[in-house]
Amino acid sequence: MATIVTTPSETQAREPAPKATRMYGLLAEFETPGDLMAAAEKCRDAGFKWWDCHTPFPVHGLDGAMGIKRTILPLLVFGAGATGTAAAFLLQTFTNSVGWTIWAGVWVTGYPFLISGKPAMSLPAFIPVIFELTILFSALACVKLMFLFNGLPQLYHPLFKSNRFRRASNDRFFIVIEARDPKFLPKKTEEFLKTLGPISVEMVED
Amino acid sequence: MGHASTHAADLGASNVQLPAFALGFRNIALGLAVVGLGGGAAIGYTGAFDTTPGHFWRAYLIAFLYGLSMCLGGLFFVFIQHLTRAGWSVAVRRPAEAIAANLRWIWVLFLPFAVLWALGKAGIVWTWADLETMRANAPAEYDIVVQKTAFLNPTFFWIRAAVYFVVWAVLASFFFNNSVRQDESGDIAISERMQKFAAPTAILFGLTTTFAAFDWIMSISPAWFSTMFGVYFFCGCATAGFSGMILVTVRLRTLGVLKGIVTSEHFQDMGKLMFAFGMVFWAYIAFSQYMLIWYANIPEETGWFLGRQIGGWAPFSFALLFGHFVVPFVLMISKWPKRMPLVLAAGAVWMLCFHYVDLYWLVMPEIPHDIGEFKTYAEVSAKYADEPTHFGNPVNFLLAIGVLGAVAAGTIGTLSRVALVAKKDPRLAESLRFENM
Repeated sequence: MATIVTTPSETQAREPAPKATRMYGLLAEFETPGDLMAAAEKCRDAGFKWWDCHTPFPVHGLDGAMGIKRTILPLLVFGAGATGTAAAFLLQTFTNSVGWTIWAGVWVTGYPFLISGKPAMSLPAFIPVIFELTILFSALACVKLMFLFNGLPQLYHPLFKSNRFRRASNDRFFIVIEARDPKFLPKKTEEFLKTLGPISVEMVED
Repeated sequence: MGHASTHAADLGASNVQLPAFALGFRNIALGLAVVGLGGGAAIGYTGAFDTTPGHFWRAYLIAFLYGLSMCLGGLFFVFIQHLTRAGWSVAVRRPAEAIAANLRWIWVLFLPFAVLWALGKAGIVWTWADLETMRANAPAEYDIVVQKTAFLNPTFFWIRAAVYFVVWAVLASFFFNNSVRQDESGDIAISERMQKFAAPTAILFGLTTTFAAFDWIMSISPAWFSTMFGVYFFCGCATAGFSGMILVTVRLRTLGVLKGIVTSEHFQDMGKLMFAFGMVFWAYIAFSQYMLIWYANIPEETGWFLGRQIGGWAPFSFALLFGHFVVPFVLMISKWPKRMPLVLAAGAVWMLCFHYVDLYWLVMPEIPHDIGEFKTYAEVSAKYADEPTHFGNPVNFLLAIGVLGAVAAGTIGTLSRVALVAKKDPRLAESLRFENM
């Protein structure tokens, strides 16, 4: 515990850098989820915006400790589902129920079918398709927007350069504060991270 | 993962025992049962509010099914938790067990029908019980029903009813007694035994509720059949069971017990179950049943729905569609109403009301006997444009409140004798620190 490792940033400050590198951020390593939770609350209260936690498994309550706002994804999925409902209803109404001619790239005409003597606009027959398209639109929107919001797919990440970070998928817990955060000051933020009780703090290059 | 919340819940008597004054609620419930059933019987006997014997007995059948379905829903919740080895639900399982425990005596409420059969008047509810009258009034229906007598005959009807009640009583006792026994010993073997019997319980439960729905509701229109009917009734059971469970749990919390044991996480999950089974699954099954019959358009099958869309039954059916599905679906789909106990309780009351509407819609409408004489749907609906639903008749509500009062009194009585939570269940700790996100 609490063996502060000399970070590359300190050595770089004394000697001229061999080549110009940009700092991605500072990586703090913690031993237990409890330490991580306490540290995350302090980071949240310090007002950082561009920072994240990395854990080997979901830690309950971490969202609250990090002060993560609720996602707007459900609202967008609801909108997508409603679009699916409307699309399915209009598609079936147009193709099966009314003889309208509309321009959709080319001129197309709806063709009212007479099916087993039912009225041309038979809602019960439409509902399975409406149901399916609602689900389809919602599910596709949900997955695609989730990928988009999370910045996925992402095949490379600067944190992969850190050897310590490999244990993020095994038994260690990390907080990274990115250099692009408006409150980020290399020295000061490093001091701040060291007060949170990490095993180590290291600089990660971009 | 237990680091996030390691609070120790208070399992002391003051937090997991029903306070003594709460027994007063049992007396209120008993009073409601007496007033409701007595008042209903008085109206039925005197024929006030133009109550025909046929209406009275059907209203009583609806009321009986109302109470029964809630207890069956409780039983469903209990065994499904054991079947899936669920951890989250331990904190709220005891109220469901107490509701299900009413199945030990619910057969008493079915005894009035034995009197009806003994008097030879069962035909006013189940027309197949009086085939001679049917032959005279509806010969076409008689020709169909007479071929079903191997199944639809009084002897077999009562044997089946006895089997259902015995099976339900045994299953409810098994899960209730074992769970209470574990409160003393904390023996893990008890959990394992309940898990082992949960699978056969699921099979028995499925068969008995399905055939009970066939016998008591579907056979009211004996020429008609739907293979989906048992599932439809099961949806009603789940609606009533989860609603009842939510109401009991919320009431216990407002009494000041189960503090730190039942959290908004548990309310959210009970709300999810009510949402899933009471609204979504119910609508799915109801529509599946409707669409197949609507699409095939076979007169033998469509009559049942025709009887539900003539006269006053047309707005009634729409009220059911919107009240049981559309409106609560939109209101309850979000996370927050499920996490606020009082909002959730309001939703549960709403669903219980529309569960009654649902049962009324199942039992009360009659298929017009002269249906074969019409050429078109327009002619039928024109002739029966004034067909009343009699939903406003006080006898309906008195009987429903009476049966519900009896079930509530039984539940409160059961809860007063045992701990309000399965306090030595091996998965209680998991349930206490359960979080949805």
